[in-house]
Amino acid sequence: MRDDARTKERDVKRLPIAAAALLALLFPGADRSWGQSMDDLNLQVHGYATQGFIYTTNDNWNTTNSTDGSAAWMEAVVNVTAEPQPKLRIGVQARYYLLGTYGNQIMLDWALGDYKVNEHFGFRVGKVKTPAGLLNETQDIDPAHLWILLPQSIYPVASRASILAHYGGVVYGSVPLGDSLGKMEYRAYGGQRVLSSDDAYLQPYRDEGLTLPNGITGRMFGGTLMWDTPVEGWMVGSSIDAENPTGSVVAGPYTGTFSAHPFYPYYFYSKYERNRVMFAGEYNRLSANTQIQFSGAPPTAYLTDRRAFYAMASYKISEKLSAGLYYSGSTDRQAAHTISRFQKDWALSARYDFNPFLYAKFEQHFINGTEIGFSTLDNTGGYKPNTRMTLLKIGVSF
Amino acid sequence: MKRRFLPLLFGLLVLPVCFCAHAQVVIIANSSVSASSISKTELRDIFTGASTSLSNGKPVTPVLLRQGGVQDEFLSLYIGKTDSGFRAGWRSILFSGQGAMPKTLDSEAAVVEYVSHTAGAIGYIGRAAPHEGVKILVVR
Repeated sequence: MRDDARTKERDVKRLPIAAAALLALLFPGADRSWGQSMDDLNLQVHGYATQGFIYTTNDNWNTTNSTDGSAAWMEAVVNVTAEPQPKLRIGVQARYYLLGTYGNQIMLDWALGDYKVNEHFGFRVGKVKTPAGLLNETQDIDPAHLWILLPQSIYPVASRASILAHYGGVVYGSVPLGDSLGKMEYRAYGGQRVLSSDDAYLQPYRDEGLTLPNGITGRMFGGTLMWDTPVEGWMVGSSIDAENPTGSVVAGPYTGTFSAHPFYPYYFYSKYERNRVMFAGEYNRLSANTQIQFSGAPPTAYLTDRRAFYAMASYKISEKLSAGLYYSGSTDRQAAHTISRFQKDWALSARYDFNPFLYAKFEQHFINGTEIGFSTLDNTGGYKPNTRMTLLKIGVSF
Repeated sequence: MKRRFLPLLFGLLVLPVCFCAHAQVVIIANSSVSASSISKTELRDIFTGASTSLSNGKPVTPVLLRQGGVQDEFLSLYIGKTDSGFRAGWRSILFSGQGAMPKTLDSEAAVVEYVSHTAGAIGYIGRAAPHEGVKILVVR
Protein backbone atom coordinates (compact mmCIF):
# COMPACT_ATOMS: atom_id res chain seq x y z
CA MET A 1 0.00 0.00 0.00
CA ARG A 2 2.73 2.38 0.97
CA ASP A 3 4.65 1.71 -2.24
CA ASP A 4 1.48 2.39 -4.22
CA ALA A 5 1.06 5.66 -2.42
CA ARG A 6 4.63 6.63 -3.19
CA THR A 7 4.17 5.74 -6.83
CA LYS A 8 1.12 7.95 -6.87
CA GLU A 9 2.99 10.78 -5.21
CA ARG A 10 5.48 10.81 -8.06
CA ASP A 11 2.66 11.04 -10.53
CA VAL A 12 1.32 14.23 -9.02
CA LYS A 13 0.65 16.83 -11.66
CA ARG A 14 3.41 19.41 -11.51
CA LEU A 15 2.30 21.22 -14.62
CA PRO A 16 0.95 24.31 -12.84
CA ILE A 17 4.30 24.85 -11.08
CA ALA A 18 6.27 24.40 -14.26
CA ALA A 19 3.95 26.68 -16.20
CA ALA A 20 4.08 29.41 -13.55
CA ALA A 21 7.88 29.20 -13.34
CA LEU A 22 8.15 29.32 -17.12
CA LEU A 23 5.93 32.39 -17.29
CA ALA A 24 8.01 34.17 -14.67
CA LEU A 25 11.19 33.32 -16.58
CA LEU A 26 9.78 34.43 -19.90
CA PHE A 27 8.20 37.60 -18.57
CA PRO A 28 10.36 38.83 -15.70
CA GLY A 29 8.98 42.31 -16.24
CA ALA A 30 5.39 41.17 -16.08
CA ASP A 31 4.94 43.25 -12.98
CA ARG A 32 1.20 43.46 -13.35
CA SER A 33 1.24 40.01 -11.71
CA TRP A 34 2.45 41.61 -8.49
CA GLY A 35 -1.22 41.78 -7.62
CA GLN A 36 -4.38 42.65 -9.48
CA SER A 37 -6.24 45.41 -7.73
CA MET A 38 -9.69 46.90 -8.15
CA ASP A 39 -9.60 50.37 -6.71
CA ASP A 40 -13.13 50.47 -5.35
CA LEU A 41 -12.85 47.43 -3.09
CA ASN A 42 -9.07 47.15 -3.16
CA LEU A 43 -9.77 43.64 -4.41
CA GLN A 44 -6.50 41.75 -4.65
CA VAL A 45 -5.54 38.27 -5.81
CA HIS A 46 -2.14 36.87 -4.86
CA GLY A 47 -0.55 33.47 -4.80
CA TYR A 48 2.57 31.38 -4.92
CA ALA A 49 3.67 27.88 -5.83
CA THR A 50 6.74 25.85 -4.96
CA GLN A 51 8.33 22.60 -6.02
CA GLY A 52 10.86 20.90 -3.76
CA PHE A 53 13.35 18.07 -4.03
CA ILE A 54 14.63 16.04 -1.06
CA TYR A 55 17.61 13.74 -0.77
CA THR A 56 18.76 12.10 2.47
CA THR A 57 21.79 9.89 2.92
CA ASN A 58 20.32 7.45 5.45
CA ASP A 59 16.83 7.71 6.93
CA ASN A 60 13.71 8.42 4.88
CA TRP A 61 12.10 11.72 5.85
CA ASN A 62 8.43 12.61 6.30
CA THR A 63 6.86 9.71 4.35
CA THR A 64 9.02 10.29 1.27
CA ASN A 65 11.50 7.92 -0.35
CA SER A 66 14.11 10.57 0.26
CA THR A 67 17.06 8.18 0.34
CA ASP A 68 16.35 7.60 -3.37
CA GLY A 69 15.62 11.30 -3.91
CA SER A 70 12.04 12.53 -3.89
CA ALA A 71 10.23 15.38 -5.63
CA ALA A 72 6.98 14.67 -3.76
CA TRP A 73 6.93 18.09 -2.19
CA MET A 74 4.88 20.92 -3.59
CA GLU A 75 2.57 23.71 -2.58
CA ALA A 76 0.23 26.08 -4.40
CA VAL A 77 -1.50 28.91 -2.59
CA VAL A 78 -3.96 31.55 -3.73
CA ASN A 79 -5.77 34.23 -1.77
CA VAL A 80 -8.39 36.87 -2.42
CA THR A 81 -8.86 39.90 -0.19
CA ALA A 82 -11.08 42.96 -0.32
CA GLU A 83 -11.68 46.05 1.79
CA PRO A 84 -15.38 46.91 1.58
CA GLN A 85 -14.90 49.63 4.24
CA PRO A 86 -11.77 51.52 5.31
CA LYS A 87 -11.43 49.59 8.59
CA LEU A 88 -12.79 46.26 7.38
CA ARG A 89 -10.89 43.64 5.40
CA ILE A 90 -12.18 40.23 4.35
CA GLY A 91 -10.25 37.44 2.72
CA VAL A 92 -9.76 33.76 2.08
CA GLN A 93 -6.71 31.65 1.26
CA ALA A 94 -6.65 28.10 -0.11
CA ARG A 95 -3.66 25.79 -0.25
CA TYR A 96 -2.76 22.64 -2.10
CA TYR A 97 -0.06 20.83 -0.18
CA LEU A 98 1.84 17.62 -0.77
CA LEU A 99 4.72 16.18 1.21
CA GLY A 100 5.22 12.46 0.67
CA THR A 101 1.87 10.97 1.51
CA TYR A 102 0.78 13.94 3.64
CA GLY A 103 -1.78 16.32 2.27
CA ASN A 104 -2.40 15.90 -1.47
CA GLN A 105 -5.58 17.90 -1.11
CA ILE A 106 -6.83 21.45 -1.17
CA MET A 107 -7.31 22.92 2.27
CA LEU A 108 -8.47 26.19 3.78
CA ASP A 109 -5.54 28.19 5.19
CA TRP A 110 -7.60 31.05 6.53
CA ALA A 111 -10.93 32.75 5.91
CA LEU A 112 -11.48 35.85 7.96
CA GLY A 113 -12.94 39.23 8.58
CA ASP A 114 -10.54 41.79 10.07
CA TYR A 115 -11.75 44.98 11.70
CA LYS A 116 -9.06 47.41 12.84
CA VAL A 117 -10.51 50.10 15.08
CA ASN A 118 -7.19 51.89 15.51
CA GLU A 119 -3.53 51.08 16.18
CA HIS A 120 -4.37 49.98 19.73
CA PHE A 121 -7.15 47.53 18.95
CA GLY A 122 -8.36 45.34 16.13
CA PHE A 123 -9.75 41.84 15.74
CA ARG A 124 -9.93 39.02 13.23
CA VAL A 125 -12.58 36.30 13.25
CA GLY A 126 -13.07 33.13 11.24
CA LYS A 127 -10.32 30.64 10.56
CA VAL A 128 -7.23 32.64 11.53
CA LYS A 129 -3.51 32.06 11.87
CA THR A 130 -2.48 31.33 15.46
CA PRO A 131 0.02 34.00 16.59
CA ALA A 132 2.20 31.77 18.80
CA GLY A 133 5.98 32.01 18.80
CA LEU A 134 8.15 34.07 16.51
CA LEU A 135 7.21 32.38 13.24
CA ASN A 136 4.01 30.35 13.63
CA GLU A 137 1.87 32.75 11.63
CA THR A 138 4.34 32.86 8.74
CA GLN A 139 6.00 29.45 8.91
CA ASP A 140 4.24 28.10 5.82
CA ILE A 141 4.93 31.17 3.63
CA ASP A 142 7.87 29.94 1.60
CA PRO A 143 8.44 33.14 -0.48
CA ALA A 144 8.93 35.14 2.73
CA HIS A 145 11.85 33.08 4.03
CA LEU A 146 15.44 32.44 3.11
CA TRP A 147 15.20 28.95 4.55
CA ILE A 148 13.64 25.94 2.86
CA LEU A 149 12.94 24.45 6.27
CA LEU A 150 12.48 26.59 9.33
CA PRO A 151 14.08 25.06 12.43
CA GLN A 152 12.25 21.76 12.75
CA SER A 153 12.58 21.66 16.51
CA ILE A 154 9.80 24.27 16.78
CA TYR A 155 8.31 24.57 13.27
CA PRO A 156 7.99 21.07 11.76
CA VAL A 157 7.14 21.26 8.09
CA ALA A 158 4.86 18.24 7.84
CA SER A 159 1.72 19.81 9.26
CA ARG A 160 0.24 22.65 7.23
CA ALA A 161 -3.30 22.69 8.56
CA SER A 162 -3.43 21.82 12.21
CA ILE A 163 -1.34 23.90 14.55
CA LEU A 164 -0.88 26.85 12.24
CA ALA A 165 -4.45 28.11 12.46
CA HIS A 166 -7.61 27.81 14.54
CA TYR A 167 -11.32 28.52 14.24
CA GLY A 168 -12.15 31.52 16.40
CA GLY A 169 -10.51 34.89 16.66
CA VAL A 170 -7.53 37.07 17.43
CA VAL A 171 -7.46 40.52 19.01
CA TYR A 172 -4.38 42.58 18.32
CA GLY A 173 -2.88 46.00 18.73
CA SER A 174 0.10 47.99 19.85
CA VAL A 175 0.87 50.44 22.62
CA PRO A 176 3.61 53.06 22.21
CA LEU A 177 5.95 53.26 25.19
CA GLY A 178 7.55 56.56 24.29
CA ASP A 179 10.50 57.44 22.11
CA SER A 180 13.02 55.99 24.53
CA LEU A 181 11.24 52.70 25.17
CA GLY A 182 9.84 51.61 21.82
CA LYS A 183 6.49 49.89 21.37
CA MET A 184 4.64 46.88 22.79
CA GLU A 185 2.54 44.71 20.47
CA TYR A 186 0.02 42.21 21.75
CA ARG A 187 -2.07 39.34 20.39
CA ALA A 188 -4.69 37.35 22.28
CA TYR A 189 -6.57 34.50 20.68
CA GLY A 190 -9.02 31.71 21.36
CA GLY A 191 -11.23 29.18 19.65
CA GLN A 192 -11.22 25.59 18.46
CA ARG A 193 -8.23 23.56 17.34
CA VAL A 194 -9.01 20.86 14.75
CA LEU A 195 -6.52 18.20 13.65
CA SER A 196 -7.64 15.82 10.94
CA SER A 197 -7.02 12.09 11.22
CA ASP A 198 -4.17 12.12 8.69
CA ASP A 199 -2.41 15.12 10.20
CA ALA A 200 1.34 14.72 10.44
CA TYR A 201 1.15 15.87 14.06
CA LEU A 202 -0.43 12.49 14.90
CA GLN A 203 2.28 10.43 13.18
CA PRO A 204 3.83 9.21 16.49
CA TYR A 205 0.52 7.53 17.35
CA ARG A 206 0.28 5.93 13.92
CA ASP A 207 3.80 4.59 14.43
CA GLU A 208 2.43 2.71 17.44
CA GLY A 209 -0.49 1.26 15.46
CA LEU A 210 -3.09 3.69 16.80
CA THR A 211 -5.61 5.36 14.49
CA LEU A 212 -7.56 8.48 15.37
CA PRO A 213 -10.38 8.20 12.83
CA ASN A 214 -11.89 11.62 13.51
CA GLY A 215 -8.68 13.38 14.38
CA ILE A 216 -8.58 15.40 17.58
CA THR A 217 -10.19 18.66 18.52
CA GLY A 218 -10.42 20.96 21.51
CA ARG A 219 -10.70 24.49 22.79
CA MET A 220 -7.57 26.57 22.90
CA PHE A 221 -6.45 30.06 23.76
CA GLY A 222 -3.26 32.01 24.21
CA GLY A 223 -1.43 35.28 23.92
CA THR A 224 1.70 36.96 22.68
CA LEU A 225 3.63 40.04 23.74
CA MET A 226 6.33 41.53 21.53
CA TRP A 227 8.48 44.46 22.53
CA ASP A 228 9.86 46.50 19.65
CA THR A 229 12.84 47.90 21.48
CA PRO A 230 14.25 51.39 20.90
CA VAL A 231 17.15 49.69 19.10
CA GLU A 232 16.01 49.82 15.48
CA GLY A 233 15.27 46.32 14.17
CA TRP A 234 15.49 44.53 17.52
CA MET A 235 12.44 42.79 18.97
CA VAL A 236 11.96 40.43 21.92
CA GLY A 237 8.82 38.47 22.61
CA SER A 238 7.05 35.72 24.47
CA SER A 239 3.97 33.58 23.83
CA ILE A 240 1.93 31.12 25.82
CA ASP A 241 -0.68 28.74 24.47
CA ALA A 242 -3.30 26.54 26.17
CA GLU A 243 -4.55 23.36 24.49
CA ASN A 244 -7.00 20.66 25.55
CA PRO A 245 -7.56 18.14 22.72
CA THR A 246 -9.79 15.06 22.79
CA GLY A 247 -10.78 12.40 20.29
CA SER A 248 -11.49 8.72 19.71
CA VAL A 249 -8.85 6.11 19.04
CA VAL A 250 -8.85 2.70 17.34
CA ALA A 251 -6.29 -0.10 17.58
CA GLY A 252 -7.34 -3.17 15.61
CA PRO A 253 -10.73 -4.31 17.01
CA TYR A 254 -10.46 -2.05 20.07
CA THR A 255 -11.90 1.42 20.42
CA GLY A 256 -11.18 3.98 23.07
CA THR A 257 -10.72 7.63 23.90
CA PHE A 258 -7.87 10.10 23.48
CA SER A 259 -7.60 12.92 25.97
CA ALA A 260 -5.02 15.25 27.39
CA HIS A 261 -4.70 17.26 30.54
CA PRO A 262 -4.67 20.93 29.54
CA PHE A 263 -1.14 21.82 28.57
CA TYR A 264 0.60 25.16 28.05
CA PRO A 265 3.44 25.35 25.55
CA TYR A 266 5.37 28.60 25.83
CA TYR A 267 7.94 30.47 23.76
CA PHE A 268 10.64 33.07 24.29
CA TYR A 269 12.27 34.67 21.28
CA SER A 270 14.22 37.58 19.92
CA LYS A 271 15.05 38.89 16.47
CA TYR A 272 17.34 41.57 15.11
CA GLU A 273 17.02 42.56 11.46
CA ARG A 274 18.71 45.59 9.98
CA ASN A 275 19.74 46.12 6.36
CA ARG A 276 21.63 43.00 5.27
CA VAL A 277 21.87 41.06 8.54
CA MET A 278 19.37 39.09 10.58
CA PHE A 279 19.82 37.23 13.86
CA ALA A 280 17.08 35.33 15.67
CA GLY A 281 16.69 32.78 18.42
CA GLU A 282 13.82 31.04 20.15
CA TYR A 283 13.15 28.65 23.01
CA ASN A 284 10.01 26.54 23.33
CA ARG A 285 8.85 24.07 25.97
CA LEU A 286 5.90 21.73 25.65
CA SER A 287 4.98 19.53 28.57
CA ALA A 288 1.91 17.32 28.09
CA ASN A 289 0.18 14.33 29.62
CA THR A 290 -1.89 12.49 27.02
CA GLN A 291 -4.04 9.52 27.96
CA ILE A 292 -5.44 6.77 25.78
CA GLN A 293 -7.99 4.45 27.30
CA PHE A 294 -9.63 1.46 25.64
CA SER A 295 -12.96 0.09 26.84
CA GLY A 296 -12.52 -2.02 29.94
CA ALA A 297 -8.80 -1.30 30.26
CA PRO A 298 -6.87 1.11 32.42
CA PRO A 299 -5.63 4.31 30.73
CA THR A 300 -2.17 4.48 29.22
CA ALA A 301 -0.32 7.74 29.76
CA TYR A 302 1.95 9.32 27.15
CA LEU A 303 4.15 11.90 28.81
CA THR A 304 5.96 14.54 26.82
CA ASP A 305 8.44 17.16 27.97
CA ARG A 306 9.92 18.70 24.84
CA ARG A 307 12.45 21.47 25.08
CA ALA A 308 13.45 22.99 21.79
CA PHE A 309 15.49 25.94 20.63
CA TYR A 310 17.28 27.40 17.65
CA ALA A 311 19.68 30.19 16.80
CA MET A 312 19.95 31.54 13.27
CA ALA A 313 21.80 34.19 11.28
CA SER A 314 21.53 35.33 7.69
CA TYR A 315 23.20 37.86 5.42
CA LYS A 316 22.17 39.39 2.10
CA ILE A 317 25.27 39.04 -0.03
CA SER A 318 23.65 40.97 -2.85
CA GLU A 319 20.15 42.08 -3.79
CA LYS A 320 19.54 38.67 -5.36
CA LEU A 321 21.63 36.33 -3.21
CA SER A 322 21.15 35.57 0.49
CA ALA A 323 22.80 32.98 2.72
CA GLY A 324 22.27 31.79 6.26
CA LEU A 325 23.05 29.28 8.95
CA TYR A 326 21.11 27.88 11.89
CA TYR A 327 21.37 25.32 14.63
CA SER A 328 18.19 23.70 15.87
CA GLY A 329 17.90 21.27 18.76
CA SER A 330 15.20 19.48 20.72
CA THR A 331 14.91 16.78 23.36
CA ASP A 332 11.90 15.01 24.79
CA ARG A 333 12.99 14.38 28.35
CA GLN A 334 10.16 11.92 28.92
CA ALA A 335 11.05 9.74 25.94
CA ALA A 336 13.01 6.50 26.05
CA HIS A 337 16.77 6.83 25.75
CA THR A 338 17.03 6.12 22.03
CA ILE A 339 18.03 8.26 19.06
CA SER A 340 14.34 9.18 18.69
CA ARG A 341 14.51 11.11 21.96
CA PHE A 342 16.36 14.08 20.45
CA GLN A 343 17.38 15.85 17.28
CA LYS A 344 20.24 18.21 16.46
CA ASP A 345 20.31 19.92 13.12
CA TRP A 346 22.87 22.21 11.51
CA ALA A 347 21.55 23.88 8.36
CA LEU A 348 23.28 25.92 5.67
CA SER A 349 20.99 27.79 3.32
CA ALA A 350 21.13 29.97 0.20
CA ARG A 351 18.45 31.72 -1.81
CA TYR A 352 18.66 33.39 -5.21
CA ASP A 353 15.92 35.72 -6.45
CA PHE A 354 15.92 35.77 -10.26
CA ASN A 355 13.39 38.62 -10.21
CA PRO A 356 10.68 39.79 -7.78
CA PHE A 357 8.58 36.73 -8.65
CA LEU A 358 10.87 33.74 -9.19
CA TYR A 359 13.40 32.31 -6.74
CA ALA A 360 15.43 29.18 -6.06
CA LYS A 361 16.75 27.82 -2.77
CA PHE A 362 19.39 25.35 -1.68
CA GLU A 363 19.81 23.92 1.79
CA GLN A 364 22.08 21.36 3.40
CA HIS A 365 21.25 19.76 6.75
CA PHE A 366 23.45 17.73 9.07
CA ILE A 367 21.05 15.86 11.34
CA ASN A 368 21.75 13.77 14.42
CA GLY A 369 18.77 12.00 16.05
CA THR A 370 15.35 11.16 14.66
CA GLU A 371 12.84 12.91 16.90
CA ILE A 372 11.19 15.05 14.21
CA GLY A 373 10.15 14.04 10.69
CA PHE A 374 11.28 10.44 10.87
CA SER A 375 8.89 7.52 11.22
CA THR A 376 9.51 3.83 11.81
CA LEU A 377 6.92 3.13 9.08
CA ASP A 378 9.25 4.78 6.54
CA ASN A 379 12.40 3.22 7.93
CA THR A 380 11.48 -0.39 8.47
CA GLY A 381 15.12 -1.46 8.63
CA GLY A 382 15.67 0.77 11.64
CA TYR A 383 17.09 4.26 12.04
CA LYS A 384 20.64 5.41 11.43
CA PRO A 385 21.72 8.02 14.00
CA ASN A 386 23.03 10.54 11.46
CA THR A 387 21.48 11.74 8.21
CA ARG A 388 22.58 14.41 5.82
CA MET A 389 19.72 16.02 3.95
CA THR A 390 20.00 18.06 0.74
CA LEU A 391 17.04 20.20 -0.28
CA LEU A 392 16.30 22.17 -3.43
CA LYS A 393 13.29 24.33 -4.04
CA ILE A 394 12.02 26.60 -6.76
CA GLY A 395 9.15 28.98 -6.21
CA VAL A 396 7.11 31.63 -7.93
CA SER A 397 4.86 34.22 -6.31
CA PHE A 398 2.68 37.05 -7.51
CA MET B 1 53.21 66.26 -8.75
CA LYS B 2 51.99 64.64 -5.57
CA ARG B 3 50.59 67.94 -4.33
CA ARG B 4 48.53 68.28 -7.50
CA PHE B 5 46.75 64.99 -6.88
CA LEU B 6 46.13 65.48 -3.17
CA PRO B 7 43.07 67.77 -3.59
CA LEU B 8 41.67 65.39 -6.21
CA LEU B 9 42.15 62.43 -3.89
CA PHE B 10 40.53 64.36 -1.04
CA GLY B 11 37.61 65.28 -3.27
CA LEU B 12 37.08 61.69 -4.35
CA LEU B 13 37.00 60.56 -0.75
CA VAL B 14 34.71 63.29 0.54
CA LEU B 15 32.29 63.58 -2.38
CA PRO B 16 30.49 60.28 -1.77
CA VAL B 17 30.13 61.13 1.93
CA CYS B 18 28.49 64.46 1.07
CA PHE B 19 26.24 62.75 -1.46
CA CYS B 20 25.07 60.13 1.02
CA ALA B 21 24.53 62.57 3.84
CA HIS B 22 22.05 64.56 1.78
CA ALA B 23 18.96 62.44 1.12
CA GLN B 24 17.79 62.43 -2.48
CA VAL B 25 14.38 61.10 -1.47
CA VAL B 26 11.46 63.21 -0.31
CA ILE B 27 8.27 62.03 1.38
CA ILE B 28 5.07 63.28 -0.24
CA ALA B 29 1.49 63.18 1.00
CA ASN B 30 -1.99 64.04 -0.11
CA SER B 31 -3.12 67.50 0.96
CA SER B 32 -5.66 65.88 3.32
CA VAL B 33 -2.79 64.68 5.54
CA SER B 34 -2.71 67.32 8.26
CA ALA B 35 0.81 66.60 9.51
CA SER B 36 3.71 68.60 8.13
CA SER B 37 6.41 66.26 9.38
CA ILE B 38 6.86 62.57 10.07
CA SER B 39 9.32 60.65 12.23
CA LYS B 40 11.56 57.88 10.94
CA THR B 41 9.77 55.44 13.26
CA GLU B 42 6.37 56.41 11.83
CA LEU B 43 7.71 56.01 8.28
CA ARG B 44 9.14 52.58 9.04
CA ASP B 45 5.95 51.39 10.74
CA ILE B 46 3.67 52.63 7.95
CA PHE B 47 5.75 51.28 5.09
CA THR B 48 6.35 47.88 6.70
CA GLY B 49 2.67 47.35 7.51
CA ALA B 50 3.15 47.62 11.28
CA SER B 51 0.92 50.68 11.42
CA THR B 52 -1.81 52.26 9.31
CA SER B 53 -1.91 55.71 10.90
CA LEU B 54 0.32 58.55 12.00
CA SER B 55 1.02 59.23 15.66
CA ASN B 56 -1.82 61.78 15.64
CA GLY B 57 -4.21 58.90 14.91
CA LYS B 58 -5.01 59.92 11.34
CA PRO B 59 -5.07 56.96 8.92
CA VAL B 60 -2.67 57.01 5.99
CA THR B 61 -2.24 54.77 2.95
CA PRO B 62 1.31 53.95 1.81
CA VAL B 63 2.15 53.88 -1.89
CA LEU B 64 5.23 52.00 -3.09
CA LEU B 65 7.57 52.47 -6.01
CA ARG B 66 8.18 49.19 -7.78
CA GLN B 67 11.96 49.39 -8.09
CA GLY B 68 14.89 51.65 -8.90
CA GLY B 69 17.40 53.93 -7.20
CA VAL B 70 14.83 56.04 -5.37
CA GLN B 71 13.20 52.90 -3.98
CA ASP B 72 16.58 51.52 -2.86
CA GLU B 73 17.58 54.77 -1.19
CA PHE B 74 14.23 55.10 0.57
CA LEU B 75 14.50 51.56 1.94
CA SER B 76 18.09 52.06 3.01
CA LEU B 77 17.52 55.45 4.67
CA TYR B 78 14.19 54.93 6.37
CA ILE B 79 13.21 51.26 6.44
CA GLY B 80 16.52 49.51 7.07
CA LYS B 81 15.85 46.71 4.61
CA THR B 82 16.93 45.67 1.15
CA ASP B 83 14.28 45.54 -1.57
CA SER B 84 13.99 41.75 -1.40
CA GLY B 85 13.80 41.84 2.40
CA PHE B 86 11.15 44.53 2.20
CA ARG B 87 9.04 42.45 -0.20
CA ALA B 88 9.51 39.36 1.97
CA GLY B 89 8.05 41.30 4.89
CA TRP B 90 4.99 42.25 2.91
CA ARG B 91 4.56 38.66 1.72
CA SER B 92 4.52 37.54 5.35
CA ILE B 93 1.69 39.97 6.06
CA LEU B 94 -0.18 39.17 2.86
CA PHE B 95 -0.10 35.37 2.99
CA SER B 96 -0.75 35.11 6.74
CA GLY B 97 -4.00 37.07 6.43
CA GLN B 98 -2.74 40.08 8.38
CA GLY B 99 -3.04 42.64 5.61
CA ALA B 100 -3.20 43.53 1.94
CA MET B 101 -0.45 44.72 -0.39
CA PRO B 102 -0.06 48.49 -0.71
CA LYS B 103 -0.53 50.11 -4.10
CA THR B 104 2.71 49.65 -6.06
CA LEU B 105 3.41 51.95 -9.02
CA ASP B 106 5.96 51.98 -11.81
CA SER B 107 7.18 55.58 -11.82
CA GLU B 108 7.59 58.63 -9.63
CA ALA B 109 5.12 60.51 -11.84
CA ALA B 110 2.53 57.80 -11.21
CA VAL B 111 3.17 58.01 -7.45
CA VAL B 112 2.69 61.80 -7.51
CA GLU B 113 -0.48 61.41 -9.58
CA TYR B 114 -1.92 58.77 -7.23
CA VAL B 115 -0.98 60.58 -4.01
CA SER B 116 -2.40 63.88 -5.28
CA HIS B 117 -5.81 62.25 -5.92
CA THR B 118 -6.06 59.86 -2.96
CA ALA B 119 -7.01 61.08 0.50
CA GLY B 120 -4.51 59.94 3.13
CA ALA B 121 -1.99 58.66 0.61
CA ILE B 122 1.72 58.91 1.42
CA GLY B 123 4.61 58.04 -0.88
CA TYR B 124 8.21 58.85 -1.79
CA ILE B 125 9.91 60.26 -4.87
CA GLY B 126 13.29 61.62 -5.89
CA ARG B 127 14.06 65.17 -4.79
CA ALA B 128 14.29 66.32 -8.40
CA ALA B 129 10.97 64.83 -9.52
CA PRO B 130 8.08 67.25 -10.23
CA HIS B 131 5.54 67.11 -7.40
CA GLU B 132 2.69 69.47 -8.15
CA GLY B 133 -0.49 68.79 -6.17
CA VAL B 134 1.14 67.05 -3.22
CA LYS B 135 2.70 68.25 0.00
CA ILE B 136 6.18 67.36 1.19
CA LEU B 137 6.58 65.97 4.71
CA VAL B 138 9.74 66.81 6.61
CA VAL B 139 11.37 63.73 8.14
CA ARG B 140 12.37 64.49 11.71
